[in-house]
Amino acid sequence: MSVGPLKGKGLVRGRVKGEALASVKAFTFAHGVNPETGEVTDVRSDIKGSNVKGKVLFYPFGKGSTTASAWFLETVRLGNHPAGIVTEGVDLSAVIGSTMAQLIYNKSIPVVSGIPRKTYSVISPGAVVSLDGDLGEVKVGP
Amino acid sequence: MHLDSDQEKVLGGEDGEAKQFAMEIATKVGDAVGADSLVPIKSAHVLAHYSSLHDAGIDVLERFANTGGKFSVPTSVDPASIDLQNWRSFGIPEEFARQQFRLCDAYAKLGGMNCWSCVQYQVCNFPKRGETVAWAESSAVVFANSVLGVRSNKITAGLDVACAVLGLTPKFGMLEDENRVAKIAFRLGIPAMNDLDYRSVGFLIGRSSGTRIPALLDLPASITSDQIKHLGAGAAAAGPITMIHFPGITPGIGSLSDASSGERVEEVEITRAGLDEIEADLNQTSEIPDLVAFGVPHLSVNELGELARMLEGRRLASGVRMYAYTSSQAYDMAKRTGILSTIEQSGARITQSTDAEISPLKLMGIDTVMTNSAKLAEIVSSEGDIKVRYSPQREIIDEVTR
Repeated sequence: MSVGPLKGKGLVRGRVKGEALASVKAFTFAHGVNPETGEVTDVRSDIKGSNVKGKVLFYPFGKGSTTASAWFLETVRLGNHPAGIVTEGVDLSAVIGSTMAQLIYNKSIPVVSGIPRKTYSVISPGAVVSLDGDLGEVKVGP
Repeated sequence: MHLDSDQEKVLGGEDGEAKQFAMEIATKVGDAVGADSLVPIKSAHVLAHYSSLHDAGIDVLERFANTGGKFSVPTSVDPASIDLQNWRSFGIPEEFARQQFRLCDAYAKLGGMNCWSCVQYQVCNFPKRGETVAWAESSAVVFANSVLGVRSNKITAGLDVACAVLGLTPKFGMLEDENRVAKIAFRLGIPAMNDLDYRSVGFLIGRSSGTRIPALLDLPASITSDQIKHLGAGAAAAGPITMIHFPGITPGIGSLSDASSGERVEEVEITRAGLDEIEADLNQTSEIPDLVAFGVPHLSVNELGELARMLEGRRLASGVRMYAYTSSQAYDMAKRTGILSTIEQSGARITQSTDAEISPLKLMGIDTVMTNSAKLAEIVSSEGDIKVRYSPQREIIDEVTR
């Protein structure tokens, strides 16, 4: 099925397409994602065991340590990062991690906020998502 | 976001590559959070510990340092992932230490204070009421906003160094009056409080407030700044807390009405049953610990003295390590005053410039940790590979010493 385009706010520019991976709980890369594999390890996450690598990652809010941006950046250094990030609230860790990824590793990882979590549940696992960080748009499906 | 002409020049690269890099991060964050400007800060507190920053964090800090970056304001730093003086004797692998020292070198090159502590406000970074600062370290941010009357957001890794280099921070969140208003109040309905209770109270507040700023009423008048430090740390570990109004303690706040700007807010009674629930939650095992850890956040000299008095004449059971975590400055004071030798005679150790939650505990052969720190218990348990026991300091010492 096709959803969208959903209109949010583009926080970090760039356009990507990727498989969706959606959590409806607060999310963190700090102690929550293994940078060496991209696997979600947080015991409190509803997507524990999934892999963020190459995915368009959805979660409503960030949580926990202010070091999450550094953990995120380490996934970028090792090439295990998500293709893009979609949130409901603003997660500064995603914004800062992605900004540094551009400046240090020349990788574009668009970030869009303002997409309500109730829309995540209609995204079937593995659905292809088009993410536009310039326009702040998210489109699910072909 | 509106930049003035000087800031535009920095963004354009006229002030060098490091400042340009910093300005790109600061403006990106400012735009994301809807800040209209960057405002000056009086001090910064940054992160440079290898366990969280990883090799990518070295790339970032070295990029700043090697492109001519200098901190524009007095800057302190959170603990390192190793004891910077005695790391070998704590079983830290050489390779791990080498990466930590790369971060130390870059930080020194940027002009940071040699003060590795999460309680910088007790050691080396002393703002005055009304100042705006940019501090990482959630527990210190709570203390700054709640006790010192200083304004700080909880600054994320990457933005911390950017703010320190620029001497500026995006104006949003806790820098705005309207975001500092209490929206929920807790009443402390417990007569006698021990060390664990203060931490559990903080944890309960952190867990129950959501994104609302809380007020805490009916604190005992005898509460010490160290107890408030641990209460705030527990709160910040459990939720997105950046401030707690303590009427009578928080500058300018004499009553709940001051805290809430006269609005009526939800009031929650903190009961013994509520604290028992937190304790049960943070206590995951009854096994004998490999490590007893005191000092997340760092212990003050007073607290080290208290620990020494409890340990005097006692001997730590074999097979158990007991570390008290503190700053190098407090360590030196403890050494001069005999506190260090009393603690060491018991078989326990004081470790400086590092802290338990950012140490490579697994590499040090630790599978079970016992602590009175709600913050440590929460962080360690989230990864699932180390078990935690959470108990009052007195009970821990009775169990692991003779």
